Amino acid sequence: MISTAVKKTFRYLSSFALIVSLNFALPRLMPGDPVKNLIGEDVYVSDLVIEELRAELGLNRPLLEQFLAYIQALLRFDLGYSYHLHSPVAEVLQERIGWTLLFVGVSVGLGAGLGVFLGAYAGWKPETKLSRGLSCGFILLSCTPPYFLALLFLGIFAFKLGLFPFKGFYDTLTLGSIASHLFLPVSVLALFSASRNFLILRGSVIQEKEELYALYARAKGLYEREILFRHVVKNASLPIITLLALDFGFLFSGALFIEIVFSLNGMGTLIYDAIIGKDYPVLQGAFLLIALAVLIANILADFLYAVVDPRVRRPA
Amino acid sequence: MQHNLKKVLIGILILLILNASLGAGAPSSSGAEAKAGIGNETPKVQGPEFQSKGEISEGILAYMQAVYLGAALRPPDEATLSKAASAYLLQLEKTKGSVLKIATPNTVKSASLFGDYSLGIFAHLSNPPLMKMDANGKLVGQLVDCYEVSENNTRWTFYLKDELYWSDGKKVSPKDAEFTIRYYGKKTPSARWINDTLKSSSFSEAENSVTFKFNKPYTRINLEFATYNLLPAHIWEKIEEPQKYIHEGSYVGCGPYFLKRIELKAGKLVFERNPYWRGPMPAFECVEIHFYSNLDVATLALENGEVDTYYKYASSYPYPNIEQLKKTEKFDFLEKTNVGLIFLGFNLKKAPLSDRAFREALSYALNYEELVALETLGYGEVANRGFVPPSMEYYKETEKLKYNPAKARELMKKAGYEDRNENGILENKEGDDLRLTLLVRQDSARTAELLSEYLEEIGLEIEVKNVDQDTWFTLKDDYKYDLTVTRSTPWGMLMHASWGSGYFDSRRSGKGVLHTLEDPAFLQLCDELLATTDSAELEKSAHALQAYYAENLPAIPLYWNRVVTPFNRDFEGWAADPLYGIYNLETFVEVRKK
Repeated sequence: MISTAVKKTFRYLSSFALIVSLNFALPRLMPGDPVKNLIGEDVYVSDLVIEELRAELGLNRPLLEQFLAYIQALLRFDLGYSYHLHSPVAEVLQERIGWTLLFVGVSVGLGAGLGVFLGAYAGWKPETKLSRGLSCGFILLSCTPPYFLALLFLGIFAFKLGLFPFKGFYDTLTLGSIASHLFLPVSVLALFSASRNFLILRGSVIQEKEELYALYARAKGLYEREILFRHVVKNASLPIITLLALDFGFLFSGALFIEIVFSLNGMGTLIYDAIIGKDYPVLQGAFLLIALAVLIANILADFLYAVVDPRVRRPA
Repeated sequence: MQHNLKKVLIGILILLILNASLGAGAPSSSGAEAKAGIGNETPKVQGPEFQSKGEISEGILAYMQAVYLGAALRPPDEATLSKAASAYLLQLEKTKGSVLKIATPNTVKSASLFGDYSLGIFAHLSNPPLMKMDANGKLVGQLVDCYEVSENNTRWTFYLKDELYWSDGKKVSPKDAEFTIRYYGKKTPSARWINDTLKSSSFSEAENSVTFKFNKPYTRINLEFATYNLLPAHIWEKIEEPQKYIHEGSYVGCGPYFLKRIELKAGKLVFERNPYWRGPMPAFECVEIHFYSNLDVATLALENGEVDTYYKYASSYPYPNIEQLKKTEKFDFLEKTNVGLIFLGFNLKKAPLSDRAFREALSYALNYEELVALETLGYGEVANRGFVPPSMEYYKETEKLKYNPAKARELMKKAGYEDRNENGILENKEGDDLRLTLLVRQDSARTAELLSEYLEEIGLEIEVKNVDQDTWFTLKDDYKYDLTVTRSTPWGMLMHASWGSGYFDSRRSGKGVLHTLEDPAFLQLCDELLATTDSAELEKSAHALQAYYAENLPAIPLYWNRVVTPFNRDFEGWAADPLYGIYNLETFVEVRKK
């Protein structure tokens, strides 16, 4: 048991070390010069000024030296300073993550709840008209490009019906304003998340309900609802846990297309702009955060597997 | 006695009404304001034609000084004054709560006035630069009445307008102008040239002027000073690192509006009327700039009346979306020929594009009419060989570019490029097949397809290299291409010796420039333009430069397009200049509801 824990800890720590190194290397492997990006296209500056700027950003130092400085800063919990946003990366991330978690987190949560509930029903009674209708609807949704669906929602609910605003997180910082601004992006994302969860759980429940334990439960005289939600869904939910662990990274990386359509300043646009502007510190910070989130989610998923499925706890 | 009491009461009443109507944010007239009124021999008081608080308060002060202090002024009569005040108050009341909303894809990403490129442009409304470009492309004073330059072009003196006030009530002084220019020079890399070449600067309160002395001749200072936002020295001198100064508002400004709030999460900037603005009163209490990351959504917002107009620096409203707006019959369109353009650039350092005859032949291979139809959807025209569009100052009429593939093939043959082995591809003078690399960025992919089709039609084999922006910069700077499609912004056309010269001069470097032309005749023309501020000489050299372009074709403009700006039909008074389009003070002062 202890050796398994040690092995797992070692595995996660080595993954983290690899991630940190890749975070440093990947932005620098991209073509382009952050200093020239910073200056702009139509501006003429002397080579001396360019070199001064490069020195100021520490980009004139050898790569190994830059890497060591990056590690040292990380050990001090310093994520650096954004070239383009002119703020400490930690502050930038903190600000963006709060809002991203709000709209993506709520969407993923709603999507999981809706997908699991409806997927379980559709898997349990696949022959009903409602189940078939739901399956068709969610298949259609999962095949629709998110960008198109977001524009469609915006066109109908904001433009035609005038029920919701077009853009931004709010007009005035009030709960009502935030709710009305986030209703459409959250709905679109939640539907996408739900469609994936629905299809997976439906298939899983169809498979599980044929197992002997389900027959046994029925023979014991349990109600259908109890068999489904106390026994079948529990076993059928393992793939959903994996999916949610993967979605955890998505929580932090934002939903770029949705952010673009609804003009939201989330993590998606932050990372996109940092890639375009070669803002190395922002990229390093954002990737590190996403990687950490995925690592933690995987640890949690490992733990949840053991809770949900006793076979995982049992020694081999 | 009774008459005097009546006068006192009227005076006090008007002052009280004014003060109350302008709200708590508007402090009472400072000493500086009063002084400005006293200094005038005949105050600008013309009854109902008062247009700003400043003018009325000056009138009232003059009136009271004449009545109570016996000042030798010609005061306005009581009736005129009270009529003017009530007209002003009525106008103020009428515009209360009115907002002009502008949609833009130029998203502000950071609340740093110095660090964010888009915010710097939008701040022209609150902190206008000293100079501006008028509708005809001529540089004229914006915050200055006039300027003068020494004969050797090293000393520039700018005379500030007298009626400028910051939104905190302080008078704009020549010290602010001196501070601004020095501050930019010290604190921003793109303006480091100021710091490196400014020998001395001084200002005169008496003349309300500021003088800059450079250690070498500069002839384009008037253009450069059309870009730097004027800053209040009493605020910014306390800020050591302006780029790191993140502040969501408000910012003290001296334009008709000041920047009240930067609301990044709500996706907007809010400008409010400057209570100390003394020019014509703007018709709106607020101006809001709304950021849209998606142009289709911006179009929907326009259609829905969420916003009144659209603005993107150096760009038109997307041509494919114009029809959609036209159908609503709610919009009119302001059209202006773009100073910037899309052009086919050549690697002049490498054969065969270094050969003038080859370029001449190639110029007949392109179907310009089709390019105009497909790329601008009719909002453009076939360009002239002289490259420079007609919206630029000192434009010279040159021959129009013509499409004639037969002539292109004939000229190729004459220049020694022919298909001797009859494999369908022209050979160069050494007998090798002409395989050319057309380097483009992703946004020019469609144009590249058209161009390669045209060029293949005359027997050239084209390899289109479609790369991301950074790879384009690298390959372009390493001269690893034959042809490239790129665009110039209005500022790009004006930089260096102007008229697009900055893109070609081999002595320059920079992200967007090609730096391929080292012909002494061209460099000489650039130097001549850089050495003079005399308009006659400038005109002569500018014409010679356009004639050079037409003769030598260092690049081929693919078309001249128009910048189209949609605006709500209920509004009137829009004005556009070639540098910043509709985003200029004229627009914000003149635009009003019909």
